[in-house]
Amino acid sequence: MSAIPAVPAAAPADGRDVSRPVPFLRAARAVFDLSLEGMVWSRRSLLMILLLGLPAPLALVFRTFITRLPPRVGAFDFYGVVIAFYYVRNALPLAALFYATALIADEVEGKTITYLLTRPIQRVSVLAGKFAAYLATTLALALPAVVLTFFLLTTIRGWTGVGALVPDLFRDMGVVVLTLVTYGAFFTLMGVLLRRPVIPGLLFLFVWELLANAPGYLPRFTITAYLRSLIHHRPPDEGLAEIFAQVLPTALCLEAVGGMIVVFLAAAAWIFSNREYVLDQ
Amino acid sequence: MTATLEYVRASRWYGPVIALNDVTTTVGPGVTGLLGPNGAGKSTFLKLAAGQLAPSQGEVRVLGRPAWGSPELFHRVGVCPEPDAFWEGLTGFQFLMALLRLTGFDDAECRRRAEQALEQVALTEARDRKIGGYSKGMRQRIKMAQSLAHDPQVLLLDEPLSGMDPVNRRRIVDLVKKLGREGRTVLVSSHILHEVEAMTRRVLLIHNGRILAEGDVREIRDLMDEHPHTVALRARDPRALARAVVGSTHVLSLTFGAEGEWVTVQTARPDEFYSSVVDAAVEAGVSEMYSPDENLESVFKYLVAR
Amino acid sequence: MPIYEQTYRRYEARAPLRTVRFWPITREALRLILARRAFLGLLLVAWGQFLFRVIQIYVVTRLPEAGRVLPIDGRMFGQFLAIQTLFTLLLSIFGGAGLIANDLRTGAILVYLSRPLTRRDYVLGKLGVLMALNLSVTLVPGLLLYLIALALAPDQFAKWSLAWIGPAVVLQSVVTSLVMSLIALAVSSLSRSARVAGLGFFGLVFGLEIVRGVLRALYDRPESALLSVQADLQSLGNALFGIKDRAFQLPWAYPALVLLAVSLGCLAILRARVRAVEIVR
Repeated sequence: MSAIPAVPAAAPADGRDVSRPVPFLRAARAVFDLSLEGMVWSRRSLLMILLLGLPAPLALVFRTFITRLPPRVGAFDFYGVVIAFYYVRNALPLAALFYATALIADEVEGKTITYLLTRPIQRVSVLAGKFAAYLATTLALALPAVVLTFFLLTTIRGWTGVGALVPDLFRDMGVVVLTLVTYGAFFTLMGVLLRRPVIPGLLFLFVWELLANAPGYLPRFTITAYLRSLIHHRPPDEGLAEIFAQVLPTALCLEAVGGMIVVFLAAAAWIFSNREYVLDQ
Repeated sequence: MTATLEYVRASRWYGPVIALNDVTTTVGPGVTGLLGPNGAGKSTFLKLAAGQLAPSQGEVRVLGRPAWGSPELFHRVGVCPEPDAFWEGLTGFQFLMALLRLTGFDDAECRRRAEQALEQVALTEARDRKIGGYSKGMRQRIKMAQSLAHDPQVLLLDEPLSGMDPVNRRRIVDLVKKLGREGRTVLVSSHILHEVEAMTRRVLLIHNGRILAEGDVREIRDLMDEHPHTVALRARDPRALARAVVGSTHVLSLTFGAEGEWVTVQTARPDEFYSSVVDAAVEAGVSEMYSPDENLESVFKYLVAR
Repeated sequence: MPIYEQTYRRYEARAPLRTVRFWPITREALRLILARRAFLGLLLVAWGQFLFRVIQIYVVTRLPEAGRVLPIDGRMFGQFLAIQTLFTLLLSIFGGAGLIANDLRTGAILVYLSRPLTRRDYVLGKLGVLMALNLSVTLVPGLLLYLIALALAPDQFAKWSLAWIGPAVVLQSVVTSLVMSLIALAVSSLSRSARVAGLGFFGLVFGLEIVRGVLRALYDRPESALLSVQADLQSLGNALFGIKDRAFQLPWAYPALVLLAVSLGCLAILRARVRAVEIVR
């Protein structure tokens, strides 16, 4: 039917191996660079800056008005409230819900997913790159705020004794990282599994996670129970939490959290790799 | 012909709706137009080749490998999708660079290829403008550029001329023809027949998920024996021409045009008609002759209506 | 062919614009939202408290002693509306997040503004949707509850001393619905993604509530309530219904001013964002 000879598939001069997809790390890095641009320089990041950075100005208010407006709790206790109540229980899970459910959903909604799925890369590297960008963005917003809050509060009466509290800071930073990774993995799975993950995500955070305040083995079915147990700060609880609050062993918490991260991300990667994305024209 | 794209009894359905129905065909080097009305199955056909959908039944192979689940194919396959969707905050250059990095090139090579692709689609001057500020035609061209930038062997273009002005349309048509002449396999999907006619004479006609016809437009036309050919002639003395040809057994009907200079003849055997009309044409002073249904639209209309 | 001078020509509209132009926008949007089963489910759940309160009123009229534990007075109506505020939050996310965001994403705003509609009509139309939804879970059940109380316990309720409850219900419902609707619309206009807008709205309202909680833990001062929209609405409600609550014990003018400022801010955002064309630099 055709007299036109085909272009022979010669090995490209640039040295790429065209018989295999682009290596995982290289592909994930390229997706990371592309996604970071969109995550950082966007209007939604303003909201995240407010949400994750808010404790720092609050700490400044605390420090500035400490003599004129005596607080009910000490500076380090306030820092504990910020970590345990504000970050681990509320702001970080919300940030994870905000970003992680949208990793793939944004691309599908914007119909740009086609460009990513028609490159010689494995789909799992798309997910890996996007997840890494989410982590980089949220950690870049949260960790400096944690450090700043710590130093603003613990140095009100000078630097004496601050050194003894620094291990707590490192521990808290570690828990902040684990919180973002664990909830991020869970909400990435929800984002890939469900078409509309926002309401189920909110219900999970503000209804299901209340089981952490229940007696017996029920808290072990939540994510927050393990993360709360990893920090030393114990803010004053109210209601059921005051009666039933449990502290789980550290080793168990780390194992459980590690297991959850692996399972959630693996499931998300499998689903994403096998799903067809039919865009409405 | 070396088959680049192969469909072997490929079907695809979405729930109870069959989008592509038991299609067996091959597409080789050169430009092939994939034609059909809206909802015919063109997008599904293209998406199966682009590995975005898996066939519900049968096989779809590209360069010898299954299209679905073979990401390495995209080293040699370029896809220009139909939706007008971009990362609007990126400039044209950044867009191409990002996608070239995803194809495995190093930064220097990405830069070189991005600049070359921008030049091919005449967007060099707008390279540093955000895509969000591009006109419709520019957006379409940058989409074309990303499908070409990695020098693919196979190109799958879904409505590539959508939204383009005549000058850029001509530019892209010439580019597509050039790519075809170079031996690349270019599959162009469109529902606008004259666009495809400008690029190629080789077509694949789809309707209701099935292939109606495939091959050269003229060959398809010639095979349509039951459908008479129409020939229009403009003459100084149209009545004399009519008297000369009306006696031939292969002439089925004659119509005179409203302006009085035209005669339209319907014939069952066009080759016989053309050889027999020469002398009569000279005597009657024929100045113009053409066949209005030697084109894709009439072929398609006829096949769809059958 | 004549060649025309390209000078300024004054446009003189011939046909007058209709008086009420926003209604088709409201009507069609409501029709789409109410067709979703999940949404109807949410509305049903939102009326659950109404049923409970009706039973409460019935029980108290039959067993007057029960009125000591569950008094039927202004406080009951104030608490009723305070709980319903949570449902206005959910309805605003569910029904309001995509109202303007989807139009900006799909370019439908051009379709609206190419009709004989002003931007004000467009915003009024969208506001009408949210007001209708929010009033259906605040004003409608609130007034119905008041009428039921009048019908079941006329000797208690048909007194001038409790006649103010009706207007208080109307005022609190309208203010709550209006503020929540304006915030939801303003956030919706800031994004092209309904998901981002929904989460942003939740994050903003809830985040401020968390901040209020933190400040209350620190200072235990009623002024901290000014930071949170929910707390401001609660303060206003307490003032209207005569509820004494130390956490919200502020002169009603302060929360009213804050709510007014928030509403004006939202209108300013809508004025800036609702445009047919966005200039990309």
